[in-house]
Amino acid sequence: MEKIKHLHLLYTFLFGVAVLLFFGLAYPHHLHYQEQYQLFLFDSTYVWEIVKLPGGVADLLGRFCTQFFLFAWVGAFIIALLLSLIQLLTRRLLNSQFSIVNSQFFYGLTFVPSFLLWLFLLDENALLGGVWAVLFTLLAIWGYVMAPGGWLRRILIIVTLPVLYWIALGGTHYHRYPTVTPYLLYAAWLSAVILPLIVRFKFQVSGSKFRVSGSKVQLSGFKIQGLSFLLVAIVMGAIVWKNANFKAEKVMKYDFMACHQQWNRIFETICLEKPNNQIGVTVQNLALAMQGKLLDRLFDFNQNGIQGLLPDVKEDATSPLPTAEAFYQLGMINVAQRTVFEAQEAILDFQKSGRCYKRLAQTNLINGQYEVARKYLMALQKTLFYRDWANETLPLLGNEKAIASHPEYGRLRQWAYKDDNYFSDHVTPEMLENLYSCNPDNRMAYQYLLAYYMLTGDRERFNQFMSTKQ
Amino acid sequence: MKKILYLIIGLMGLMGCTETVSDAKQETAQPDIYPDYIGVTIPVNIAPLNFNMADEKSLLVDAVMTDSHGNSLHSQGEESVDFDIDDWHQLLAQNTGDSLTVTVSAKYEDGWHTYRPFSIYVSPDSIDYGLCYRLIAPGYEVWSKMGIYERDFSSFDERALIENTQFEGCVNCHSFNRGNPADMSLHIRGPHGATLLRHNDSPLIAYNTKTDQTLGLCVYPYWHPSGRYIAYSTNTTRQLFHSADPNRIEVFDEASDIQVYDVEKNELILSPLVKQDSVYETFPVFSADGRSLYFCKSVECKVDSVEVKINSLRYNLCRIDFDPATGTFGDHIETIIDAASQQKSISFPRPSYDGRFLCYTLSDYGQFSIWHHEADLWLLDLTTGESHPMTGANSDDTESFHNWSSNSRWLVLSSRRDDGLFTRPYFCYVDEHGVVTKAFMLPQRNPRRFYRDRFLSFNVPEFIIAPTHFDGRKASRIINDERRKNFGVRQVPTL
Repeated sequence: MEKIKHLHLLYTFLFGVAVLLFFGLAYPHHLHYQEQYQLFLFDSTYVWEIVKLPGGVADLLGRFCTQFFLFAWVGAFIIALLLSLIQLLTRRLLNSQFSIVNSQFFYGLTFVPSFLLWLFLLDENALLGGVWAVLFTLLAIWGYVMAPGGWLRRILIIVTLPVLYWIALGGTHYHRYPTVTPYLLYAAWLSAVILPLIVRFKFQVSGSKFRVSGSKVQLSGFKIQGLSFLLVAIVMGAIVWKNANFKAEKVMKYDFMACHQQWNRIFETICLEKPNNQIGVTVQNLALAMQGKLLDRLFDFNQNGIQGLLPDVKEDATSPLPTAEAFYQLGMINVAQRTVFEAQEAILDFQKSGRCYKRLAQTNLINGQYEVARKYLMALQKTLFYRDWANETLPLLGNEKAIASHPEYGRLRQWAYKDDNYFSDHVTPEMLENLYSCNPDNRMAYQYLLAYYMLTGDRERFNQFMSTKQ
Repeated sequence: MKKILYLIIGLMGLMGCTETVSDAKQETAQPDIYPDYIGVTIPVNIAPLNFNMADEKSLLVDAVMTDSHGNSLHSQGEESVDFDIDDWHQLLAQNTGDSLTVTVSAKYEDGWHTYRPFSIYVSPDSIDYGLCYRLIAPGYEVWSKMGIYERDFSSFDERALIENTQFEGCVNCHSFNRGNPADMSLHIRGPHGATLLRHNDSPLIAYNTKTDQTLGLCVYPYWHPSGRYIAYSTNTTRQLFHSADPNRIEVFDEASDIQVYDVEKNELILSPLVKQDSVYETFPVFSADGRSLYFCKSVECKVDSVEVKINSLRYNLCRIDFDPATGTFGDHIETIIDAASQQKSISFPRPSYDGRFLCYTLSDYGQFSIWHHEADLWLLDLTTGESHPMTGANSDDTESFHNWSSNSRWLVLSSRRDDGLFTRPYFCYVDEHGVVTKAFMLPQRNPRRFYRDRFLSFNVPEFIIAPTHFDGRKASRIINDERRKNFGVRQVPTL
């Protein structure tokens, strides 16, 4: 009987596993995306700037957890754990109102807030701080319910409400777009608080049916519990699946692979399914060039003219990053630096990015701007997952010999422009011609230049270039 | 319970302890400290000049500051010295016109080292109440969080006047009449673009400064000493980026004109002399007596190559009469410094309010000198017409925007000497003969931590003689409101 009594933990576990598998297998790059648009610093000033604002504690914990999204399975586990905790707390609140038998009929509803939060987190701009805010609210209500009645409970309310406002309720930073109202989060929030009250009302109307006690009736109650869970799980699971943006996931996957320079994996991926979005095509062409296959395989895959090779830099935080990766690998260091800087500045909630800081440190290092590079590296030293890299890179500053012999920085220094030219948002063939002419060993520039001619159908310049080369 | 209490008291006692400098190796060199405050001249009302050891290897840093009367001030810290702010101000007040001697010791793994003392001179000329500046990332075209802030010189307190979290857009070009925030101009850019004006402490009004007779929105404001007029330029600006040059960006004008706004009549005063096609006029400033308008002027280079065009844009320092009684321009333009003939370019002219000097930035070409590593400050003696570089204030890196304190003895300057990218405010003393002292960086409680952690540039530092009392919430309501008052235009015939 005891085992059956704790059967609900199995349902919570199943729910948690479902969340884990979803984010770990089907949605991992959404988690990577989240991570790359924030930089969590173990720094008192950084922490204070967040917690001093209403909702700051929830926001801080959300940011803290998001840094682990660099490893998708860890991120998925964190989300699964938080959503499971919210479900368990919702159930506790429900049970606090009724006997176990009576609440089992409504058991499935205890998953509604967690499912709504799951739905909320499908949006790559939804922030985990919102989930923490719901959790804090439930904890506060639970504390209130568990507290003994009388004056102590009243004091608890007086103390808890402003504290709760400060750590969770007053928060505004639960979505990256400051102008977007996170309705799903609010719905989850409200459902977690209101559901037990609604159920209580419902119970008072039709509850008499369940007031019989005894093991037989209790057993049927658990069957109801299972059916209730199943019903909510199927309905809401279907809603989650239907609303998941797998198209965006694919795009994010390409960006992630480019960021981590997984050229072989990109090649395998494009061979399985040819990308047909701008970021995918940009990354595809970059990977082909990195493997020396761009000119041979250019037209084996979808192309989007110049916009699939080196797209114009837009004023957003997402689309310029794969292009910046191409600029960087080409040796267009200043162009890459500018593109990454602008992308970081375009992050809508004014956060910084570990990925961008890293690249800005690298470009400044290659350019010999060591003090600026040091500034970025010292900030990265305050992070959990970029610290080791920063520690390894710092000794390179000013060490010309070490930089020259570095497989990446040494090569890019050699490939970089020697003569100064002006550039704007649009890449011109002249930029690639100058890049190639200042270092004919730059195979990337060679491939991109010829690909540029081929994609624009500029036979004249193509032939002219080839004859000059010969 | 008592044990816990004793433990807490003991811990607090330990925290307050300082280590005695003992068996120190006496160094013949002066200490290498950050920021470099060695031998600087400071105003009496400046916040404590806390500093760190530059090498970042010290375990403890200790400083003893003494005066000629036997008074002393001591501080010791792990990262930086942090002088008690009240004791600091008391010591400075007792030593105006005199020097303080600073003895620095630093503890390293091999023990204490005591360095040759250095002096700091406390000028009898005080500095204004504080500084107003914009904080913005040194970027290109996109901006993240930014705003206008004010800082009290006598403490480390910084307050936001307005931030772009309060509206959609960016904010720039804050300007005051000789540091008096009763007269204030502030530009908002973006979908809620406007110029906010406060005249004689009156309520803020949002203006649309674009008219059908001018190039565009008014920029680069400068108040007339009477407070009645504001000189503006209108600029059609473009940016291009360097592929290999150490200077990252080139910001240049494709057209620019000058006009004066009559605050009382709500009229822009135009003149064909400073509104010429193929001549770029910019950075207008009134002379101390308000009867001249200084500005920078360049002639358009008519070539196809954008590289040649940008690199040959060189600005001279010019002047035109201005009659404040009638609000009319003079009938001719006088070239004060022909920088173009020396293959140089002038930007940001700023006359001292006592009428003695004019400080300007000199770079190789163009007018957006903050992105020019070679840019330096020069001082023009308005009585002799001679210019000389402000060696004490300059560094190997960029010096660009600058402003005078209301008593014309202090100059704030933007410099990138710290790391080559992030602009920091520095201050130097300029005596009545034009002798410039070594510039010192805006003090912070823990300078290295502060400046290293701040990924923002101090942009357009302006002295303020009192707190601005700027109501950011009210201002953001005005900004977010669609209503704008239009600038009128008056066409003025030349004298």
